[in-house]
Amino acid sequence: MSEIAVQTSGLTKKFGDFVAVDQVSIDVKRGEIFGFLGANGAGKTTMIRMLCGLLKPTSGEGKVTGLDLYAESERIKQKIGYMSQKFSLYNDLTLSENIDFYGGIYGLNPTDIEFKKNQLLADLQLTPWRDKLTGTLPPGFKQGLALGTAMLHDPSIVFLDEPTSGVDPSSRRAFWDVIYQTASRGITVFVTTHFMDEAEYCHRISIMSTGKIIALDRPDNLREKYKLPTIQSVFVHLMRQASTH
Amino acid sequence: MKRILQMMQKEFRQIFRDRPMMGIIFIVPLVQLLILAFAITTDVKHIKMSVVDFDKSAISREIINAFSQTERFDIKDFTQDLHRIDNDMRSWKTQIALVIPAGFSKDMQRGAKPQIHISADGVDGNTAGIALGYAQAILVKYGLENNSPDVSLTRRISLHIVNMVERMWYNLELDSQQFMVPGIVVVLLTIIPMMLSAMSLVKEKEIGTLEQLMVTPLRKHQLLLGKIIPFLILSYLELAIVMTVAILLFNIAMNGSYLLLASLSFLYLITTIGLGIFISTFTHTQQQAMFVAWFFMVFMIIMSGFFIPIDNMPGSLQAFTYLNPMRFFMAIIRDIFQKGSGLSYLSRDSAMMTFYGIIIITLAVFKFRKRVS
Ligand SMILES: Nc1ncnc2c1ncn2[C@@H]1O[C@H](COP(=O)(O)OP(=O)(O)OP(=O)(O)O)[C@@H](O)[C@H]1O
Ligand SMILES: [Mg+2]
Repeated sequence: MSEIAVQTSGLTKKFGDFVAVDQVSIDVKRGEIFGFLGANGAGKTTMIRMLCGLLKPTSGEGKVTGLDLYAESERIKQKIGYMSQKFSLYNDLTLSENIDFYGGIYGLNPTDIEFKKNQLLADLQLTPWRDKLTGTLPPGFKQGLALGTAMLHDPSIVFLDEPTSGVDPSSRRAFWDVIYQTASRGITVFVTTHFMDEAEYCHRISIMSTGKIIALDRPDNLREKYKLPTIQSVFVHLMRQASTH
Repeated sequence: MKRILQMMQKEFRQIFRDRPMMGIIFIVPLVQLLILAFAITTDVKHIKMSVVDFDKSAISREIINAFSQTERFDIKDFTQDLHRIDNDMRSWKTQIALVIPAGFSKDMQRGAKPQIHISADGVDGNTAGIALGYAQAILVKYGLENNSPDVSLTRRISLHIVNMVERMWYNLELDSQQFMVPGIVVVLLTIIPMMLSAMSLVKEKEIGTLEQLMVTPLRKHQLLLGKIIPFLILSYLELAIVMTVAILLFNIAMNGSYLLLASLSFLYLITTIGLGIFISTFTHTQQQAMFVAWFFMVFMIIMSGFFIPIDNMPGSLQAFTYLNPMRFFMAIIRDIFQKGSGLSYLSRDSAMMTFYGIIIITLAVFKFRKRVS
């Protein structure tokens, strides 16, 4: 197992003439919580979609878990978990049916699925909801369930695209606890967010603006470098700088 | 294989849990069948008729009298002006015109071939066809009542309405339900599979689950088969229900082979499900998909000969119908029901339909990507 989970160099995505992701080069280590910050339309989702094999890059190189983005995108899919910006479980299936379905799609056998299902529902304290329709679940619980489901097949990386948007603060903290546990098991977490307080929890963050990475470091290093008290203020400072250029 | 079964199980669970969808699949078709079958196809009465009598003889008056005595025809106008009939037809004032040429009675007495012209407004082709049939029946009877040994009258008239004769051959009671109900079966096997597949895929696109499926190892063919197979099964269920109602309630005669009907339906369902998938590849919301599917549907139904017989269309439009896979299936189903035709008689239509089926499903599968756009 390679120690580098994600590696890109000069990764670029154009939609027509518009450059959504511009020459992005990053290295993400195994077990790292890697945060992706940026204003609306900065290119975060586009970046994640390329890494998950949902979008074909226009140019540049990329490897995920040591597998090539172009040639081995189907093999990458077995090794990654993905939570899109939208809630992606079926509201008209029960919690149990959703877990059975995704587990089956990942090729797990029924006994494994049953075991993992019980464990996941117990962890999330959702056992009584097991046979209720997923649509009836309060929003705070949905995120945890979606993450758990995206990780049924024990991926080595999970990509989370704004997993906590529209979630109340206490559920957000609970969700970040899960992210920490995940990372401590050696699973790489690649996460985008709008919340600056969440950025502080990441091992490293990259700040993106109009497709380019304009800063990439540990949160404490960034604060020190710009002599500002919070990532929030660093972000505002960088955005102002970017817009005057 | 396991993954396809997983998809199918999920698909069935969702469809059976979706009340409005169940309604669309099972209730709407029956309502449609009942309404269409009763509304369009009950006996045609009080057809507005114009009469032009250039002959003005005892025989011509007798013929006109025969028409005025039945409640099938209402004589609205006597005229000597043929242009007026044309105008009246355009303005819906008359539906059928009876023209008795000068010299008709003389011809008849001489034993030469007398001619009567009947022209019907072909816009409502179904009514026109039925009206022509009634007119012919009256003229035949008139000829017989007169004990005329000269059958040329009927033969002449037959020659003028060749289409009608061909159709009456297989639909002797002139019961248009026999003609319309099989057509409705075709319409349903077009709408339901196309809507189901388009809506189901676009819905997954809309709520984001399609994107989620695309990052799993589920292959494209597994995803598509997992959708197509349940829709096929549902469509067959639908076909069985509608046919049962048609045969038991409407006494529709099914003269052909059920196996042939089922096999050719399979080819057609591949086409309509393919269209649905195709629509889902370039639409982003359920409304858009619904709109596009509706557009396809209207085009296909109008150009299929369901309401307006293709022979009644202008030539350029007729050529256009060859682009419509439904046209072929419409002909096939009506032939199987009414004439009990076997595959050898249907081979040309079947070949055309298969040709479109292959093109459409290939295009759909090709355009459907395991990537987001
Ligand atoms: N399929 C597409 N075709 C054309 N333009 C696109 C497409 N997808 C994204 N874009 C554009 O690329 C830019 C980056 O979009 P992206 O979704 O990656 O941003 P983001 O950082 O995730 O923003 P947000 O915070 O709103 O989620 C946007 O300007 C968007 O309009
Ligand atoms: Mg985004």
